[in-house]
Amino acid sequence: MTKRMYPFYFVSIALCFYVVFTVVPGLMGIYLSLTDWNSYAKEIHFVGLANFKTIFSSDENYLLGIKNTVIFTISTIMIKTVIGLLLAVLVNKGIKWKSLHRVILFLPAVIPMLVVGIIFKSIFEPQQGFMNEALRAIGLNAWTQHWLTDIQWAFKSIIAVDVWKGAGYIMVILLASLQAISNSYYEAAEIDGANAFMKFRFITVPLLMPALTVTTVLNLLYGLKVFDTVYVLTNGGPGYATEVVYTQVFSQFSLGSYGVGTALITVLFFIMTLLGYFAIKLMSREEQN
Amino acid sequence: MKKALSMLLVLGLAGGLLSACGNSGNNGNSPQASSEASSAPSQAAATESSASEKKDVTLSYLASQDWIKEPEMKLAEKFEEQTGIHIDYQIVPSDQYFNVLKAKLAAGEAPDIFGGQSGKFDLGPLYDVENNAVDLTNEEWVKREDPLFIEQATWNSKVYALTIWDPSSSWIIVYNKKIFEKLGLSIPKSYAEFLSVCEAIKASGITPIYEPVSDGWHHVLWFPELGVRYEEQDPGLAGKLINNQEKFENAAVLEQSLSQFNELMQKGFFGDNALSNTYADTEKNMASGQYAMTVYNIGLPAQIEKAVPGSSAADYGFFPIPLNDNQGLNVNPAAPSKFISVSSKHIDEAKQYFAYLTQPENLQYLLDNEPKFTDLNFSGVKAKFNENQKAFFDTYGQHTGTVYQTAINYLNPQWMDIGKDMTAMIGKQMTPKDILKNIDKRREQLAKTAKDSNWK
Repeated sequence: MTKRMYPFYFVSIALCFYVVFTVVPGLMGIYLSLTDWNSYAKEIHFVGLANFKTIFSSDENYLLGIKNTVIFTISTIMIKTVIGLLLAVLVNKGIKWKSLHRVILFLPAVIPMLVVGIIFKSIFEPQQGFMNEALRAIGLNAWTQHWLTDIQWAFKSIIAVDVWKGAGYIMVILLASLQAISNSYYEAAEIDGANAFMKFRFITVPLLMPALTVTTVLNLLYGLKVFDTVYVLTNGGPGYATEVVYTQVFSQFSLGSYGVGTALITVLFFIMTLLGYFAIKLMSREEQN
Repeated sequence: MKKALSMLLVLGLAGGLLSACGNSGNNGNSPQASSEASSAPSQAAATESSASEKKDVTLSYLASQDWIKEPEMKLAEKFEEQTGIHIDYQIVPSDQYFNVLKAKLAAGEAPDIFGGQSGKFDLGPLYDVENNAVDLTNEEWVKREDPLFIEQATWNSKVYALTIWDPSSSWIIVYNKKIFEKLGLSIPKSYAEFLSVCEAIKASGITPIYEPVSDGWHHVLWFPELGVRYEEQDPGLAGKLINNQEKFENAAVLEQSLSQFNELMQKGFFGDNALSNTYADTEKNMASGQYAMTVYNIGLPAQIEKAVPGSSAADYGFFPIPLNDNQGLNVNPAAPSKFISVSSKHIDEAKQYFAYLTQPENLQYLLDNEPKFTDLNFSGVKAKFNENQKAFFDTYGQHTGTVYQTAINYLNPQWMDIGKDMTAMIGKQMTPKDILKNIDKRREQLAKTAKDSNWK
């Protein structure tokens, strides 16, 4: 029989704050997404699902924003996790000056996004930017691109910058879990004749699963809420090529169309809840296995 | 239990998203702020008090890049020396300015003074001036400002903004005379001739046109600035568009200019870097000789001469934007303007600053020291046209018309959106027709929100 250590009212203050500052405004947000709230009219009218119809209408760009947000989230989760995991394994054992490398690799995570944006705008500048200059210097002129202004490359460049900034953070979380794995597992596996890949696949990855669950959920929530990276680097352009939900929300709010903006956030809220729930469920099953 | 906790965790984290939306529609215009505005003392009294004592006040001033000229900053320093009132300029990149400003206005975090583009149709929809800006109708300088500019800063019979700008600053093509002479080219009189000129320049290894698309607003100029020509081709079009008797989508002349702009882009006349080019680099790039033409005001040659040692203003000439065979001069009495925020705690001091800027000797100082300006929209100021500029106005100044962003309602507020659409057209994601349809859609949205009877 489980006995509660503390009475329920211990959490009542925190719960009150949570209800007042998160649940109630959240519910108000959902209500406002069903209204014509805007900066030009004093009254707010209930309009049913009109804002959602606008969002899902095929001749609007909102679907592109939702699609880009999902693509950004999935690709950054995958790339950051793979790179973060490889870096964690590398700095855990296989490299000299481990501490120094850990600091260097984690450094991008603590640089403010605004600074990262300015740096990468300069790096990606097509004429004198470091990226194209470096490619030209090694004779790869044909590889030079308009990284942030070419519709084919702009979104990929944003993903690359986000991976550069976030991989070190994932590495640190995974590294902490990696260091908690006992050496005896690896020694036993060696005795059984396991090679490096088999040890990684059948010992490291399963034992890292709780940490991978955490990083995946964090990346998922971060990715779906992405704004600053896109805003600073391309502001959703060229044209609408790199629009994500939050740049569209920002535009709608600045245009005074609060109802549509709130409806967009509500859509994202449901996507986020569903994806988060399934990600946790799926990875919890993996953990149990 | 574990599943329930997981769900709660996800809901909690995602719920934070919606929290931000649970705000009332109040724009922070408290009754207190409104009463402060209405009880503000006259400018004369404010100026008198400033002479006697210095104040320790800082006025925040939000403006888009290139709206605040260097001489104005010098004047602000002198103003601070005299009054103790410091002007804290907050300059925002032009492609982000309106989003930042409108977000600040909506959040009730407006600066003391904010910049905005004037326009008689736009002050309400764009800035909601009745709730966000101080009524300046009774200020002394209003009587001295050009009435055409005052009209563009007026909403429901009240003046809400101070505009200090060059009335002759039409957007035209500024060209490099040396390049034209070297290639034996003359000023094009039609779009076909303009294409031939561009072909010849491109063939010589020089990029025909410097177009800074990355700023998000400049390339839009090619479209609505041609109001004078549109009215010539389709008389009464502006009136029909204003009254919603005609749609942009159906106006062939508008589709024609967008198509021709796109043709220039697709033929490579803007060069490979147009999408990365910035407005701030115009002088440097034009002076380099790598570009032959750009869309700018008649003040550009003087700016180039000042910015790039060894260059000469006399090397540049002017002609109208020749899309749709335009040969008329586009005129725009709407310009970057200064508004005082109704929620400011220093309305008197902001009015005092406006009064200081508009003193005749300070206006003359501004004009004399700003290369971009050749004249100012105030009486009693001595203009500084050179021979090239006089020749241009003599040739084209007889045939003028108002630009469409000022002549037509609900167009200027969507300037940056049109910019995005045109960039999408450059990337072959949209057609000229799609752009016009989008303009109609946004106009309808703005008109309905403003309860315009023509859109019922």
